[in-house]
Amino acid sequence: MGILGDTTLAALNLLFSGNAELWEIIAISFRVSGVAILIATPPALLVAFLLTYKRFPGRRLLISINSTFLSIPAVVIGLTFFILLSRQGPLGEWRLLFTQTAMVLGQIALAFPILVAMGHSALQAADRRAWETARTLGANLIRAVFTIMREARFGLMAAFLAAFGRIIAEVGASMMLGGNILHYTRNIPTAIALESSKGEFAQGIALGLVLLTLAFTLNALLQHIQGKGQPVT
Amino acid sequence: MNAPLILTISALNKRFGKRQVLQEIELVLRPGECSLLSGGNGAGKTTLLRILSGLEKPDSSQIDMGNGFQSWRRSRADLQKNVLYLHQQPYMFDGSVRYNLGYALPSGLPKQLRNNMIDAAIDWAELNRLHDTPAKSLSGGERQRVSLARAWLRNPHILLLDEPTANLDQEARRRTLDLLRSFKKEGISLLLASHDPIHFSSLIDRHLHLYDSHLVKIEDQKLMQIPQLQSHVSLRSTA
Repeated sequence: MGILGDTTLAALNLLFSGNAELWEIIAISFRVSGVAILIATPPALLVAFLLTYKRFPGRRLLISINSTFLSIPAVVIGLTFFILLSRQGPLGEWRLLFTQTAMVLGQIALAFPILVAMGHSALQAADRRAWETARTLGANLIRAVFTIMREARFGLMAAFLAAFGRIIAEVGASMMLGGNILHYTRNIPTAIALESSKGEFAQGIALGLVLLTLAFTLNALLQHIQGKGQPVT
Repeated sequence: MNAPLILTISALNKRFGKRQVLQEIELVLRPGECSLLSGGNGAGKTTLLRILSGLEKPDSSQIDMGNGFQSWRRSRADLQKNVLYLHQQPYMFDGSVRYNLGYALPSGLPKQLRNNMIDAAIDWAELNRLHDTPAKSLSGGERQRVSLARAWLRNPHILLLDEPTANLDQEARRRTLDLLRSFKKEGISLLLASHDPIHFSSLIDRHLHLYDSHLVKIEDQKLMQIPQLQSHVSLRSTA
């Protein structure tokens, strides 16, 4: 068996033997990215809703700016927050650099434009009559907003999954803001980068398998959700 | 039903770009009165209904709902509270017919009362066979009945209907007209926009026509079916 086969076998062994260090890294990844996506989603969807249903000066400019943020590399987000949170930075007194909170902040910044852009598309695709029907049937503003979110839920769920997939796999921001500290800020992508640089491929492959499994699960979920969202004929 | 409400619209204007769609519209809607609104394609029927229901902003207007004339902006909340607008193709929320009917009820109602009211609406609109059916899978006529049943539960003072019988077969049209008749009996003011005035001859009390951005009253009921022949119709400019 070649080196790839041997390494994969060793990786599977690490995964299924319940290697504590490996599973701790996985847990940190899910915790940080889970918190980030949960914090980012409500305001991002609200912004997406306003961009869809409100006409105000500068709306198109905002949409363009948001779309620009979609293509910013994670490492640039990381660098920006690094400068903000470093000792000499404007938020240096918060002493957040190299903490999980800093990683969460970076991942929120990464997830936000994805949620806004995809949420905006999903809400635009929703039938305009849904909003008008809700309002004319007496729904107040908040109830009408939730109704539209419910009607567009399949598209919004796709936005949620896409954003989560993006942030749990990013390495640049986590590395710069978390510092890759074992038992604290080392997550899946930063661990893969570190182990690979040391020539320890087994753990890297094992963690890569976890990310692949996650990507597959998210995509399968997405397909399932989008299938459910097909119109009744 | 609450105390009767008279809606008076004055000096209503609306333009889209350079095109004046509605000009100096004067209109009074009284309880239990059914008005037919006709006009060619793009005459502004739907725009007028949407403005009256608080969904579309006019360029200028004065609205009196019993408290004196106010701007549309100030009247908007009252319009949304008292006026219900039904789209030409009613929108059904994702869910069963029961869910859709329940949407028209205030969310804080006790469950038992809520269920009883939904059951009553199902009986009223003869939707018994369909109550658990996904509303999005209903036919045009069935959707129209669900939307009327939602309106019945909402119990508005004024009901605005945009082409309520368009694309319906004869039986569905008859059922829709029966339901509209019962709204009228309950004292609800109806304003129906339609290309086919003749379908509503047994229901309507007056016929209004939008022509060249003005709202006019057609006096001769026999000419209801040919409102496009403006030169032969006796017109009165206040409605």
